[in-house]
Amino acid sequence: MWDNPSLRCLLAIAFLHLLSLIYSQETGKSTPGNWKCITHDLNRMICSWDATSSANRGLTYKICQFRAAAIKTPVSAVAGNDFECMLFFLVSFQALIPLTPQILNLSADFSTYTLYLTWNDSGSVFQHELDASCTILSRSGFNVFPINYDSKLTGKDSILFWNWTSDIPLECTSYYVKIRCYINELYFTGRKEWSEWSPVRTVPEKDTKPNSVMVFPQDKVVLVGSNVTFCCLYNEGKSVKFMKYGSESYPLLRLSKWSSAIKVQNVSASVPSGTNVWCSLVPDDVEGTVLFVGYAPDTPQNLNCETRTFITITCSWNPGRPTALYSKRRTKYILFERISRENVTCKVEELNKKHACDFPVHANQKIYNFTLSASNPLGQAESSLLIDVNQRVHLETPDKFTVSTNSSTHAHLSWYIPGNFIKIRLLCQIEISNSNSERQLQNVSMAGAENSNYRAWVDALHPYGTYTFRVRCSASEYFWKWSKWSEGKKLTTLEAPPARGPDIWRQRSPVGETVTVFWKPLLLSEANGIILSHEVVCYLRERMLKAHEVPVPLNSTEIKLGGNDCLISVIAKNRAGSSPPSRITSVDLPSDNVKTELAIATGNGIYISWHSDPNVTCGYTLKWCISSGSEPCNVDWEMFPSNAIDAVIKSALFQPGVRYNFSLYGCKHNGYQLLQNITGYMKELPPKVAPNFTVEETSSDSILVKWEDIPVEDCQGFLKGYILYFAKGEKGSSKTSFMEEGSPELTVKNITDLTKKSLRILGLQGKTSYRLDLRAYTVGGIGPSKDLYVVTKENSVGLIIAILIPVAVAVVLGVVTSILCYQKREWIKETFYPDIPNPENSKALQFQKNICEGNTALKTLEMNPCTPNSVEVVETRSTVLKIEDTEIISPVADSELPEDGSETGTGSHVVVSYCPPIIEEEISSPPIDEPVGSSQVIYIDIQSMYQPQVNPEEEPEINFVTTAGYKPQMQLPINAMKMESHSPTEEDLDKIAGYRPQANTNVWKLNSPDSPVSIQSNNENGSFGSPCSINSRQFLIPPKDYEDSPTPNNTGWSFTHFFQNKPND
Amino acid sequence: CDLRRKLVIVFPAGDSWGIFAFLCAALWNLPAIPALNSTDEVGAGQSIQKTYDLTRYLEHQLRTLASTYLNYLGPPFNEPDFNPPRMTRAEMVPSATVDFELWRSLNDNARLAANYRAYTHLLCYLRSMDGQVAKAELRKNLGHFCTSLQGLVVSIASVMSSLGYPLPSPLGSASPTWAQGPGATSPHNDFLKKMDDFWLLKELQTWLWRSAKDFNRLKKKVPPAALMLRLEMRGF
Repeated sequence: MWDNPSLRCLLAIAFLHLLSLIYSQETGKSTPGNWKCITHDLNRMICSWDATSSANRGLTYKICQFRAAAIKTPVSAVAGNDFECMLFFLVSFQALIPLTPQILNLSADFSTYTLYLTWNDSGSVFQHELDASCTILSRSGFNVFPINYDSKLTGKDSILFWNWTSDIPLECTSYYVKIRCYINELYFTGRKEWSEWSPVRTVPEKDTKPNSVMVFPQDKVVLVGSNVTFCCLYNEGKSVKFMKYGSESYPLLRLSKWSSAIKVQNVSASVPSGTNVWCSLVPDDVEGTVLFVGYAPDTPQNLNCETRTFITITCSWNPGRPTALYSKRRTKYILFERISRENVTCKVEELNKKHACDFPVHANQKIYNFTLSASNPLGQAESSLLIDVNQRVHLETPDKFTVSTNSSTHAHLSWYIPGNFIKIRLLCQIEISNSNSERQLQNVSMAGAENSNYRAWVDALHPYGTYTFRVRCSASEYFWKWSKWSEGKKLTTLEAPPARGPDIWRQRSPVGETVTVFWKPLLLSEANGIILSHEVVCYLRERMLKAHEVPVPLNSTEIKLGGNDCLISVIAKNRAGSSPPSRITSVDLPSDNVKTELAIATGNGIYISWHSDPNVTCGYTLKWCISSGSEPCNVDWEMFPSNAIDAVIKSALFQPGVRYNFSLYGCKHNGYQLLQNITGYMKELPPKVAPNFTVEETSSDSILVKWEDIPVEDCQGFLKGYILYFAKGEKGSSKTSFMEEGSPELTVKNITDLTKKSLRILGLQGKTSYRLDLRAYTVGGIGPSKDLYVVTKENSVGLIIAILIPVAVAVVLGVVTSILCYQKREWIKETFYPDIPNPENSKALQFQKNICEGNTALKTLEMNPCTPNSVEVVETRSTVLKIEDTEIISPVADSELPEDGSETGTGSHVVVSYCPPIIEEEISSPPIDEPVGSSQVIYIDIQSMYQPQVNPEEEPEINFVTTAGYKPQMQLPINAMKMESHSPTEEDLDKIAGYRPQANTNVWKLNSPDSPVSIQSNNENGSFGSPCSINSRQFLIPPKDYEDSPTPNNTGWSFTHFFQNKPND
Repeated sequence: CDLRRKLVIVFPAGDSWGIFAFLCAALWNLPAIPALNSTDEVGAGQSIQKTYDLTRYLEHQLRTLASTYLNYLGPPFNEPDFNPPRMTRAEMVPSATVDFELWRSLNDNARLAANYRAYTHLLCYLRSMDGQVAKAELRKNLGHFCTSLQGLVVSIASVMSSLGYPLPSPLGSASPTWAQGPGATSPHNDFLKKMDDFWLLKELQTWLWRSAKDFNRLKKKVPPAALMLRLEMRGF
């Protein structure tokens, strides 16, 4: 009925009218004060008023209620005595205040930090549905958390629940919770007010100080990356010094008077023993807790279940990411099988990290649906696997494996496999390895049994073969996995008679009295055991002549024929029996004109070819002999069919560079015939040695070289020729070969004619050293070299001619010159030594000038700045006077001499042009101030060098004269006389008194040695006159002391000159 | 923690041979040692020397083990300056912090008995510790140390018997908390367990140090056996 909204509305309006019409009627008494009406249930109204007035004592209040149209509600006050009734009309608005909610229970889950609150909504007090809203106020320490909770009142009492999760452990501080409600009735026009607060409830209930220091949360396990708040509770009077998470300190948060906290964000995985969180207090105290941070278990990966014995199914898996949780917090695994609804708790071995679990096999169950669940305090994960146990058989390694045989080709095998395989068939694989490590696999299928031995046999083994056997097994029908291989067992089969007769050959002695029979040892696969001996029998027309039993290891025997040829038979014998016989005839057919041919080396064999012989009916045999050292050579042979015409012979014994000889025999119906001899190499190499060569003959332009053959064993191949290198070269100058040097004069001669043993080298230079180098070569290459140095002979005739011709020419020239000079002596005298020389035409002067060209010291003969002066010769006879004058004025300074000369010369008759000497330096220097100054300036070093010889103070005048430029013609002889030790004769004086060249006489000394003055002059002061470069301090011509014998100097010069010119000749 | 039952089997193979060799040598040398008038004294001297050597060896072994174990516990236990106050609940571990003068005033018998009792309980505690270690390697080391410590308990017992002292009787209900063995008190949280382990190692160190001194003093009191025998002993 209450669900109808229109009806509800109607009722609410009616109630409103009811309330509004309450009034009181005053009957002369005062109106009751503080009139108030409230309702808790919209049904009953509770009104209250003050009745404090004493006058009203004894009054009885009666509340009247007017319905619908009534205006006022009369309140009847009935007095005790006179029963007087008064009516008050009171009009007021009313209030809706819900009943105070009652908290039924407040509980806490400390592990999840959650508070649970239950209260009664008292909905039964209302007749219809109403919207209600409650406020829950909780307080922890200093913090208050108001929470609104909306509900619906249904008209019945309901228990309401509310929970709240804290972010800090609940132990850290007490929680106070109270509640009040409010009813939101839309049609109620009066005041709607909150109910009273419920009584406060506390969690934990005993809101007291902690007894001891404690840190919360204790031993909690959280996920990596969580944010965790730790709090430290302590007694009053203590204070927290610090709180650390691991080794790191965090800022403290004050929760209450005896609680502080730290907040750690994003925690990382803890160490195996957990991360310690501890609180250090003042006074000295420490308390802590351990936080375990890890991961929820990963989904088990690669879950694999299989059975090995059909007794249990073993499931193994990979746990995936480590959880970082250990001991009691580690991941626990439970294997659950859905069909049988059984589960098994798995033990994980921490040491080897093996994750496996065994589940029993049920007799009548084939299909198993496994679920492996992993769980730890942080969560759980699972993975599933559905298997048919028959298809997941992984057998144990076959055990007790034995191998035995009683034949040469069979072996019996036996092994044991634990487990019950009655329901399936097994497939086993037997591995047979022979001594050459060749593997062969043989599969055997067999019925399964329970904990049984299994047997198999193998055949087709080789007699006397050593084999290693192994076995492994699996389920036959549904292959899953092979078991591991069993251990290997070795077995040697029994012997059997040799499979065939040996390869044989025979060789008759040169005389033919005996024949030697050779055979090759049988291969291991053919011998079928250990060959003990060979039986050699000689048959003559089916009649056995002789039998030889030859023990191993001999592989040949000699048989005396006694003039008869026979058929030789050889049989190999081992413990098990004899081989079929091998036969060969001893008959050798005569052969003539047997040629020797060369084989071709192939590098790893020898290629031999031959011409097919139509008479050969039973094949060819190629025989050779390999000798090693001093022992007799080992005969070897190879047989070829009749149609063969070539073969490549290979043998491990062949060595490169060694010559082998082969004989080719043809097998004809009546015997063997030697057809051909062949020689060859497996591989040709360069010759091992150089040819031994000598120089037979040497001339000035040719050399004759001779060499010897290289021994065959040193050739290492077929010799193709020789190469001779020669070039100029000194012995010991270079050790390197010609090719390396790359000498430009290298000459190479290739001698391909092997019969030639000498060579003449022409066109060489005389007396020259040559280096010769001779090498032999084969197809394999050029052999080593041998050096020889040869010096060609000297060409003596040429040298003699080279000397004689210039000498002869010189002599002839000398003779001719002498004759000419003699014939023309008058002209020469006239020209060169006239009695009165003409200065202008004097060739001698020009000659002199030419020679001294460039020498600044010879200023007298300088012609260029020549100012012609005229000397007038007045009288030739006055020379004596002149001499006297000169003598008188000689002490006068030489600088004045030219002026005196010119003055004295004013009255001369003959005018001779001459060039005054250019002696500016001497003229410019004042002679009076420094009498020897001029000469000192120029020749200062000369003077210092020759001081003892020259004393300027003793003979100053001489110096003046000698250093002066122009001198009067008469003055010089006097000076000369003074200087020379011998006294000149009158004639000499006359001659000398004539013309003298104006140059300083000393200067003439530097003239060419054929200059007469220079030769004749013995002047003591010759040193001063020695030509000297101004720039140099050396004499060009040494002083007199050093040129006592000028002639040898001259000869020496000419001799050198001769040799210097010789090359030009 | 029934140690007594195990006493008969704790001699390792090597030790048995050593004792056998020692006995042979002792018998051989008896006529030559006039100072020794009873085999008991020879046995006591040897036992004391052996116990002393074992104590020193355990001291050395503990140094390595403690360093590894404290690192396993993590900070603050592996911090060198960590020295928490010993709280009442730390009496889970028998304390060696007896007054020095008081200890010296005890007679040999009382000291040996205290040693015996302490190591018996330390060993029991050590064994319980073993099962909780998360690291296999550390568990192995702990197991090895336990075996050695068990050897020491047996040695002390043999010293006491050779000196004619009775083995101490099991402690009654009036015994301290630690005597009841681990797990006798209220369940610990992990931090307190770590703290107990820390104290155990510390106490072990102190006990071993003091035992070495005790046995050294005792060695001097009991006439030493012949030098040759001593050498035999050291070769074990």
